[in-house]
Amino acid sequence: MSPSTLALSQRILARLMPPAQAEALVGDLLEERRLRLQAGSQVSVAGWYWRQLASSVSALLWASVRRGAWLITVVTAVASYVAAVGIQFVLWSALSPMTSPMTSKSGPTVVGLFSFVAALAACGYVAASIRLGAARLLAFLVFATTCAMLAISMPASLWYEGSLLVLGPVATIAGAALSGRLRRVRL
Amino acid sequence: MFYLAEQMPRGDFLGSLEQIVMLAVMRLGTNAYGMTVRREIEERTGREISIGAVYATLERLEAKGYVSSFTGEPTAERGGRAKRHFEIEAAGHLALNASQNALKNMSEGLSRRWKRA
Repeated sequence: MSPSTLALSQRILARLMPPAQAEALVGDLLEERRLRLQAGSQVSVAGWYWRQLASSVSALLWASVRRGAWLITVVTAVASYVAAVGIQFVLWSALSPMTSPMTSKSGPTVVGLFSFVAALAACGYVAASIRLGAARLLAFLVFATTCAMLAISMPASLWYEGSLLVLGPVATIAGAALSGRLRRVRL
Repeated sequence: MFYLAEQMPRGDFLGSLEQIVMLAVMRLGTNAYGMTVRREIEERTGREISIGAVYATLERLEAKGYVSSFTGEPTAERGGRAKRHFEIEAAGHLALNASQNALKNMSEGLSRRWKRA
């Protein structure tokens, strides 16, 4: 078995259980694989290995849901997303009257973009301080929903669409990185 | 049996897989770790079980305080990975006893009906 295959199976399992347990589990699989190779062919043993891995993933996925790890991550990410929408609306409502004296057409757009980025950075920070995975999921949610909204809404300027797609996830990750850095400083 | 049942919190009878895993750990004694537990179950019950299902069940039992685990030494045949050994705790013996007794009491006198069916 190649080191990359092993690394892949360990990476998959480490997502579903604590790393030390994942390592013990991979060790068990390797030990039994070695025993099976003495009696069976390479192909049948490789099939057994991947079948074990696939059926283990479903059992461990369910165990991790029961443990609440995934549920808390998903709930935190979704709650952060809803909070970000609320904060963005409040910021936009507070700042947009200031843009009215502006003669430039881009004033409201810039305010909208600023509210979007600031709200997501703040929520990325909060989500990461609860669970780092939640901030990552939030960044993905932002990217996916922005893609969907741009696809169904009226076409805007290219720079604006591009900024929304890039700045949203980047602001979320930047907020999460700030949270991680502050946590390390505190430690 | 009633005494044992009273000692356990309500709803704490073990599920069938939990009982099977605990019995395998008990049989294996000091050699109980993921791979041996899985093989013992497969050999004795003929039931195919994934290593992940064994670990998930053991994790649940450990959270309930029925089994405990410790990490062994890394070995070469495992690619330098350590074994995670399991052993049954006193509460686990109690829970297993209560679950087995409950099943035995419930099935008492019904064997003739099974045969007829």
